[in-house]
Amino acid sequence: MRRLPLLLVAIVLVAAAALARPVRRLVRSWEARVAVAGGSMAPGIQDGDWLLVDPDAWRTDAPVPGDLVLLADPRLPERLLVKRVHARLPDGTLDVRGDAPDASTDSRTFGPVEPGSLLGRPWLRVVPLRRAGRVR
Amino acid sequence: MDLRRALAPSRTAHAHCDIPCGIYDPAQARIEAESCYRMIEKYHASSDEVFRARCLSVKEARAEETKHHIDVMWHDYFKPEHLEKYPDLHDVCWKAAKQASLVKRTVDLEEAKKLLALIDRIDEMWKGTNGPAATRMPA
Repeated sequence: MRRLPLLLVAIVLVAAAALARPVRRLVRSWEARVAVAGGSMAPGIQDGDWLLVDPDAWRTDAPVPGDLVLLADPRLPERLLVKRVHARLPDGTLDVRGDAPDASTDSRTFGPVEPGSLLGRPWLRVVPLRRAGRVR
Repeated sequence: MDLRRALAPSRTAHAHCDIPCGIYDPAQARIEAESCYRMIEKYHASSDEVFRARCLSVKEARAEETKHHIDVMWHDYFKPEHLEKYPDLHDVCWKAAKQASLVKRTVDLEEAKKLLALIDRIDEMWKGTNGPAATRMPA
């Protein structure tokens, strides 16, 4: 019965390969987590939420309208913003907006942003626990 | 609580209004414009040349401030969706800023009155776009 261990090894290898990416994504996203300050993304994302952010999300794919993005504030790059892509402009820049327009400073004020200013994709809320889960 | 602190994100993602305070209120422009109005009144009421010169100097400085505060409302507070509600928004702000320039160089009280009326129209648009709730600190 030399076949069984081989099969087992094969299954383990396949499982590890299948899990490697999601696990890596989760670990990287945990390291890149942010606390949200302010209500410009209400009601979906609220003041005080903790979000896991996939820092690799936009390395290969370009965001499309509707995607959540973490980005550097074009006026003060060390400051992080969370916004939603409103439109991709013909020149490749992005119009980003808050979900609550009256409480948001966004591309309407500071203009479109460069794709290079994107720092990741917020995708999972971990705090508060009662609202934990995917955000989109 | 210690666990929470240990797990807490070290980074903050901002989802609020502006880096500046986000407080926008046409009252700032109005107070400066009222100063202009009073300075013109006092200018005409006095025969003291030194006092009159001070009135002009103060008025010109206040008119410049008025214009600045009108510009802040125009550029920073008002947003495209406000323009949809008030199609004459640009026209009113432009006229108000121009009127402030006019008040800077005139001693005609009527022009100062017109400036106040234009600022009051900005105030109406500010109130009509939820300005007080969006930008004023709760007391």
